[in-house]
Amino acid sequence: MQAATSLVPKNYLTEKQGILSWLFTTDHKRIGILYTGSITAFFFLGGFFALLMRLELLTPETNLVQAETYNKLFTMHGIIMVWFFLIPSIPNTLGNFFIPMAIGAKDLAFPKLNLLSWYVFMLGAGITIYALCRGGVDTGWTFYTPFSTSYSTTYVVAAAIGILVNGFSSIATGLNFIVTIHKMRAPGLTWFRLPIFCWSMYATSMILVLATPVLAITLLMVAVERLAQVGIFDPALGGDPVLFQHMFWFYSHPAVYIMVLPGMAVVSEIIPAFSRKPLFGYKAVAFSSIAIAVLGFFVWGHHMFVAGTSVYSAMTFSLLSYFIAVPSAIKVFNWTATVYGGAVSWDTPMLYAVGFIGLFTIGGMTGLFLAALGLDVHVTDTYFVIAHFHYIMVGGTVMAYLGGVHYWWPKISGKMYPEGIARLSAATVFLGFNLTFFPQFILGYLGMPRRYAAYPPEFHMLNVLSTAGASILAVGYVMPLFYLLWSWKYGPAAGPNPWRATGLEWKTESPPPKHNFEVTPVVTYGAYDYEALKEELQLVS
Amino acid sequence: MSPEIAPLALHEQFANPEQQRETASLGMWIFIVSEMMLFGGLFVAYTVYRMYYPQAFTEGSADMDIVLGSVNTAVLICSSFTMALAVHSAQMGSRKLVNIFLLATMAIGCVFLVIKFTEYYKHYLDHKAPGVWFDSAAANPGKVELFFVFYFIMTMLHALHMFVGLGLLTFTLLRNLAGKITAEYYNTIEVTGLYWHFIDIIWVFLYAIFYIPGLHP
Amino acid sequence: MTPTVSRKSYALTWLGLLGLTLLTTLLGFIDMGPFNMMAAVGIAAVKAALIAGIFMHALFEGKLVRVVIAAGVMWFLIFVIWTAGDYITRGWLPFPGK
Repeated sequence: MQAATSLVPKNYLTEKQGILSWLFTTDHKRIGILYTGSITAFFFLGGFFALLMRLELLTPETNLVQAETYNKLFTMHGIIMVWFFLIPSIPNTLGNFFIPMAIGAKDLAFPKLNLLSWYVFMLGAGITIYALCRGGVDTGWTFYTPFSTSYSTTYVVAAAIGILVNGFSSIATGLNFIVTIHKMRAPGLTWFRLPIFCWSMYATSMILVLATPVLAITLLMVAVERLAQVGIFDPALGGDPVLFQHMFWFYSHPAVYIMVLPGMAVVSEIIPAFSRKPLFGYKAVAFSSIAIAVLGFFVWGHHMFVAGTSVYSAMTFSLLSYFIAVPSAIKVFNWTATVYGGAVSWDTPMLYAVGFIGLFTIGGMTGLFLAALGLDVHVTDTYFVIAHFHYIMVGGTVMAYLGGVHYWWPKISGKMYPEGIARLSAATVFLGFNLTFFPQFILGYLGMPRRYAAYPPEFHMLNVLSTAGASILAVGYVMPLFYLLWSWKYGPAAGPNPWRATGLEWKTESPPPKHNFEVTPVVTYGAYDYEALKEELQLVS
Repeated sequence: MSPEIAPLALHEQFANPEQQRETASLGMWIFIVSEMMLFGGLFVAYTVYRMYYPQAFTEGSADMDIVLGSVNTAVLICSSFTMALAVHSAQMGSRKLVNIFLLATMAIGCVFLVIKFTEYYKHYLDHKAPGVWFDSAAANPGKVELFFVFYFIMTMLHALHMFVGLGLLTFTLLRNLAGKITAEYYNTIEVTGLYWHFIDIIWVFLYAIFYIPGLHP
Repeated sequence: MTPTVSRKSYALTWLGLLGLTLLTTLLGFIDMGPFNMMAAVGIAAVKAALIAGIFMHALFEGKLVRVVIAAGVMWFLIFVIWTAGDYITRGWLPFPGK
């Protein structure tokens, strides 16, 4: 497979070399890789805090860390995982890399804004790490007032500013993606010929642009209140802490859809590719993505059922939260229908995608339990909630992210990863994940509250199981770091389309040239038209 | 379309200048929507507190200087007018008129900021600056202070956006002086104009909620 | 490149905006109870529409721009209505805290 070096065409990696060419690049593919490096580092940092938490929870008493330190651990775990890993994860890595390629464009609409967004991201991260190094924050990632504004003695303002700055990176990314998908599609690529990856990333971008500014202003108000000692959320001055919660959750609920929609985007690509069939119900899935993004803005009050909102408000939010399960379910049904009757190959990306469907379904259905007012009063602020959102964020998004990385690895690196160890790693992640988080559903139902370093001794056994699972999960996450990087250097060359999948990105070299395509493609068929492309895909090895 | 303009202006990811113009305009409109949500959060919070404390908020509003506020509103409307004329002149290809109208917009914008900071200083002298020097003879001083907290945060955020706008106007002026804005390629000034007009829109709402409620006893 | 909007339209809009500002101020002196705020914000909305439509060329751009603007306005309204809705409906039941 090795051609003579003088004849090897330049690709985006070899085009210009040296660290400055990376730091000043405007190539969306290189920026995607810059982001990948950053979020991987933050993932392991956030994961390290989680591991410390799980070690503390191995015993009922507070013995590894003090309660105040434990508060800081779960806060930093949440802040880093939500804002510095999950939200940028798929959009800024796989989205950056593949949206232009999937639509046949040379780059995003605003390449320099894209690079700026990475620097702003790193600035926000730097400020947050500064807060971490000065002792961390102990308010919980939710920054509830008046504790965060009046009583906490930790570095709340620094953390708030770090997250606020990071928010601008998100807004820039969302803006870039929306404009790109509207204006930069290749000739013949109508909206209903777009891969679902683009539809879901578009829906994600809608949320990024509309919700993130509200987070920025909310955190700004918290910072102003702390610094100027004025009372916006201070009851003594007539302020209302519940107003903070309204403003915070107006962003943070749609934020969870920012985290899951890209996962669905990736799964919508992997399932047809490895079932070798068109995606079932294309329009239903496309519109469901938009529906999730829109409906996601109507349900934030379900985080506030016990906060003191009015009953009518709570009932409205509860009802709307039930509605939003529908488009997600539509997607799950359509993915399943796609697999049915297909020529399925169980490569690693498919393992992760199917794992996503199962775990996301469990997580999503437990969300319905939480949406029921009466049940929520019992399980809110317990480990039930924690298990619910980890099933979606970790069992869902992280698995989809790993699936996407494996699926597109040959395109990004030009090399194939070792399949055997990759499958072992996927199985380890799946096993470790379920062992970690399933006991937490039971713990929550039995009444163990969240954010406590100590617990009653009757919860001991389940906590031990959970911690054991966490250590297995950690191994499963570390493995890809090694074999993927190994394969970059030593793996076999992958060729343009090793999976024989549809999609414009597979029509160009692996790794792609700087401008993605030698000639701008003209699209005359739908996104998953395996029938029309049967001949063509057989020819490519 | 003169060929010597096209290679200068067209960025490599675009197929033609019209696509580039539409992209730039759409990008700025989406940014404006994000700004709507940014200020929107403050408007929502203000709305809630106004519903809860109408008396205190009216009292707070009575301390506003309606003359300065109204003059400032008129000032910004004039600056929007000159900005619109600047874009119009760019579309007509009159470089000199673009310079004149851009400078006028910037000057009027500075007038706004001078009046605004005069108002802030007056509030400070009247002991109406929360966090710095606040006392009120009202029955609920805490709630009147809340009004002023919102007044300062929202108008300061607006003023910050004005400074950014002045920066954008300066950048656009420099580009025009360098001959980079023509009748065929005027994206920079159009996009700057959109931003400037939006800042004016925000002020129009700020005027309505801060200056008007206290006018009648 | 023919300009999108004529200078005359801009001038008329400018005068209209100044007139509406004057109207807002004058109405403020009349006590209309709860309608004062509605009138002030309502006139502000009309002014905003004029600025957006004429100065920002929203009336002359394609459908996409108008959809984007409508989306922004709609999302702000969702935020304000759902939040204010909680506060308005408090105390409607005879239970404490509800």
